Amino acid sequence: MKLTRKRIGTILTVLILLVISSVYIVPILMMVLGSFKTQGEALHMDLTLPAQLQFENYQHVIETGGILRGYTNSLIITVSAVAIIIIFGSMTGIIISRRGDRKGRGLYYYFVFGLTATMQIVTTYALILKLGLYGTYISVIFVLAAINLPFAVITFSSYVKGIPREIDEAAIMDGCNSFQLIFKVLLPIMKPITITNLIIAAIGIWNNFQVPLYLMSSSERTTIPMMIFNFYGLYSRDWNYVFAALVITVLPVVILYLCLQKHIVEGMTSGAVKG
Amino acid sequence: MWLGIPAGLVYTIFFILPIVTALFYSFTDWNMDRFDSPKFVGMNNIINLFQDEIFLRSLWNTVLFAFSTTILKTVVGLVLALLVVKKFRGNSIFRTLFYLPCILSCMIVGLLFTGILKQDGLINNFLTVIGQADLARDWLGSYGTAMFWIIIIEVWMWAGFTMFLFISGLQAIPREYYESAEIDGASSWKRFTKITLPLLAPSFTVVVTFNITGGLKVFDLVYSLTGGGPGFDTQVLSTYTYRAFGMGLLGKSSASALILSIFIVGVTFVLNKFLRSREVDV
Repeated sequence: MKLTRKRIGTILTVLILLVISSVYIVPILMMVLGSFKTQGEALHMDLTLPAQLQFENYQHVIETGGILRGYTNSLIITVSAVAIIIIFGSMTGIIISRRGDRKGRGLYYYFVFGLTATMQIVTTYALILKLGLYGTYISVIFVLAAINLPFAVITFSSYVKGIPREIDEAAIMDGCNSFQLIFKVLLPIMKPITITNLIIAAIGIWNNFQVPLYLMSSSERTTIPMMIFNFYGLYSRDWNYVFAALVITVLPVVILYLCLQKHIVEGMTSGAVKG
Repeated sequence: MWLGIPAGLVYTIFFILPIVTALFYSFTDWNMDRFDSPKFVGMNNIINLFQDEIFLRSLWNTVLFAFSTTILKTVVGLVLALLVVKKFRGNSIFRTLFYLPCILSCMIVGLLFTGILKQDGLINNFLTVIGQADLARDWLGSYGTAMFWIIIIEVWMWAGFTMFLFISGLQAIPREYYESAEIDGASSWKRFTKITLPLLAPSFTVVVTFNITGGLKVFDLVYSLTGGGPGFDTQVLSTYTYRAFGMGLLGKSSASALILSIFIVGVTFVLNKFLRSREVDV
C-alpha cells in the first residue's frame, strides 16, 4: 500500500495521542491494580500485577469504610437539590420570559447578580448554625440549590424566550389553565435545556466538597468526597484499601459517563459558554 | 408571579443573605467565642490581612495558580483539540479519555496523585528504576515542587474540558476558508495563524474567562493534596479562609472571602473587556 502524505500525518497524530493517553491511563491503571494487592504490595506503588487478586480489599472497604453510606447520602442530597433547581428554576425562568415587564426584568437581574457573585461560605455556615440546621441534609441541599439556581433561572428564561408566544395563546384557546400550560405544554418543549441543567447541577453537586466540609464535616450524613477524605485519614498506610475505596467511588461515575457521554459533554460545554 | 417565589426565597436566604451579612461581619471582630456579639472594628480586618505575610503569600499563590493553569490549559487544550478534530477511526476514544478526569471529584484525583507523588510513590519508584534515585523526593512535601505539581494536576483534570470548548469553536469555522487558502498556496502554518487562531477568538474568551474564575476559586485540589503546606507554600485564598475559619476567626475569615470575591469580579471584568475587543466577525 502506498503511503500518502495524509496517511503519514494520521499515523503521526495517533502516535502522539497514544503517548498523551498514557498520562491519563497510568494513574487509573495504578489505582485498579493497587486495589487488588496486599498491603505490602500496594505500599510500593508500581504498575506490576498483584501476585494474587485480593478481593478482600473490596469486602473490607464496603464493610468498614462507610462508602455505601456516603453513596446514600450523596444520592439524597444530589437528587433533592437537583429537583429543587429544575422545578423552581424552570418556573422562575418561565415567568421571567413570559412577563416582559419591569418586575420580570428586575427578577432577571437579581439572578444575574448570582452568576458573578461568589458564595460567602463563612456567613452561610453561621446562618445554618442559627437556623439549627448544622449537619443536616436540608442545609447542604438548600445551599447547593441556591448556588446553582442563578444559572438555571437564566438559561431557562433565555430558552423560553425562544418559544413562540403563539403556542401559549393556542393552548389557552384550547382551554388550558396556566398550570396546564406550564406542565403540559412548555415543560416538554424545554427538554434540551432541562437535560443541560440536570447534568451540570448533578455533577457539580455530586463532586462538591467545600459545602459539606463547612456544613457537615464529620457527620454520618456527609457525602462521598468527604467520606473518601475521612477514609484516607484513617487508612493512609493501607493503600490497598484506599485504592479499593477509590475504585468503588469512581466506577459508577465512569459507567454513567460512558453511557451518557454525549449529553454530559454537550451539557457541560454549553454551560461554560453561557455561564 | 407567585411561581417565582420558591426560587427567589431559596436564593435570597441561602445565597444573598450570607453575602449581605458578610459585608457587615467583615468589619467586625466576630469570632467563635463571641458568636452573638461581634464588635465593629472598621477596616481593621482588611488592614491586618494585608499586613499578614501568609495572606499576601496566599494572594500571590492564587494569582500564580489561576494564571499559569489558564495558560497551560489553553495551550494543552488547543493542541489536543487540533489533534482529535482530525478525522480518523477511533478519535472519539481519545476524546472520551481526555475528558474523563473532569467528571471526577477533586478528592479522588487528589488521592490518586498523592499515591503517585509521595515519597514511595509511583514517580520516585520509576526514577529509582531508571537509575535516577537521587532525584526522588517527597514532591508534595517539598517547597517549590508542591505548587508545581498542583498546577500540573489541575491541568491534567481540566485540559480535556478546554479541548471540547475548542473543538466546538473549530467546527464552527467554515471549511471554504481553508479550501480557498489552500488554492492560494498558503502553508499549513499560515492557515493556522491567519485563519484558525483569529476565528477561534470567541472560544478563547470562553476558555480564559472560565478557567481564570475557576482557578481563583481553587480549594478542593489544594486542600486534598497539600492542605496548603509545606509551611504555607501552597496556601491559596480559599484555604486561607478555611484556616481562619478553623481558628474561629469568623470576621477575618469573612473579610478574606470577600476580598477573593471582589478580586474575581474585577479580574473577570477586565479580562472580558480585553478579550471581547479582540474577537473578529466571521
